[in-house]
Amino acid sequence: MRIRNVLGTAAIACGAVLLAVAPSFAHHSFAAEWDSTKCRDFTGILRKLDWQNPHPYFFVDVKEPGGKVEHWSFQAYSPVTLRRNGTDRQVFLDNIDKDVWIRGCLSKTGKPNAAAAGTLKFSDGVLRQVGQLQD
Amino acid sequence: MNTHHVRRVLVAVAGLALCTAQALAQGSAQGSGRSAPEQYTIKPLPPGGPTPRLADGHPDLTGQWFPNGAGQGVSGRFGVDPDAIRTFDPKVTPEEPPQFRPEALAKIKSMTPTELELSKSSVNCMPRGVPAIWLQNPYTTFIIHKPGLLAQLYEVLNNWRLIQLDGRPLPKNPEPFFHGNSSGRWEGDTLVVESIGFDERTYIMPNGWYHSDELKVTERYTRPSMNYLIVEIIVEDPKVLLKPWKSAPRRWTLGKGEIYEFYCTNNLELEELEKLRQQELKQK
Repeated sequence: MRIRNVLGTAAIACGAVLLAVAPSFAHHSFAAEWDSTKCRDFTGILRKLDWQNPHPYFFVDVKEPGGKVEHWSFQAYSPVTLRRNGTDRQVFLDNIDKDVWIRGCLSKTGKPNAAAAGTLKFSDGVLRQVGQLQD
Repeated sequence: MNTHHVRRVLVAVAGLALCTAQALAQGSAQGSGRSAPEQYTIKPLPPGGPTPRLADGHPDLTGQWFPNGAGQGVSGRFGVDPDAIRTFDPKVTPEEPPQFRPEALAKIKSMTPTELELSKSSVNCMPRGVPAIWLQNPYTTFIIHKPGLLAQLYEVLNNWRLIQLDGRPLPKNPEPFFHGNSSGRWEGDTLVVESIGFDERTYIMPNGWYHSDELKVTERYTRPSMNYLIVEIIVEDPKVLLKPWKSAPRRWTLGKGEIYEFYCTNNLELEELEKLRQQELKQK
């Protein structure tokens, strides 16, 4: 429990620092739908992109510990925001069937294999903010 | 302070240091940013040249306007000067909070977190409406201005609004519109637009601030230089507010004309939020 508290403190501080560096226009509340206490790293293969408003979704075959592969969906910023920050539709399409790393948080409703993406890296290693920063 | 507390503080500090390093690494991501102010790569847009004018001599408000100080997108980008993010500095131009009637405040406070979320146009894909389009909108507005007519093309949800600038009287029995029934006139170099007759499904701000059928909105537009559009909003609503509310002068900045389509065709959030709302209702 103590360790969890410590990690929680660090996570909150981390979030504050990240927010100070990378501005995010939180026009609606991330916390209303997504659980910032349940965030994790995902690695896998990007399989599909659904580029629509108000949020694009991308689909990844995630390699879970032990080797099992799970199919996950990730929500991102709006297409307009992604275009303006340099992570447009073509960037996703160019990375279909390639490795991707994502930091994301789980749904508050417990919807299986659904997360909101915050940051990601494609195989070029560039860190991209693709959704509200969460933890 | 006992050993456990010391250890706890040390671990938290170490975590913070790691995160700071990560944040700084992010700052250099996408080739854009560092944290030192002198190295911000996205800075406030300077005023630019003199105010452009129409043939009739009035300021020309034409342009793509960003709701920030940068004249470009700032969301999800690194290396942004904080001064380039906001539309006004509350230390320089403080904005008094709205003073609600007691019954209005009670109604707002009775909303559950999910009800509040569901009321937001950014979530439910309803038009933001006036004046919210100027107060709670992270996307651009393209204005096309001709003598006697102002067209506002809102990037968000592909909404639009036309305002006649001949000072025509407002309708006596207005149909409720999301953007109201508007009439504009000039007071010197300030364009004043008054509107009544609003659809009651819109909110003034995304904090539960609803409005009544007696809402009257006054927008005051100035363009003091090429790159700046100043928008000031006055909200009168005697059924909701104890006195009229006046916004700070908010500065929008000129973009380069890249505007995108934004039809809300795949809103999956409503379903999830409705599940959470049902959970809240069970807990009541």
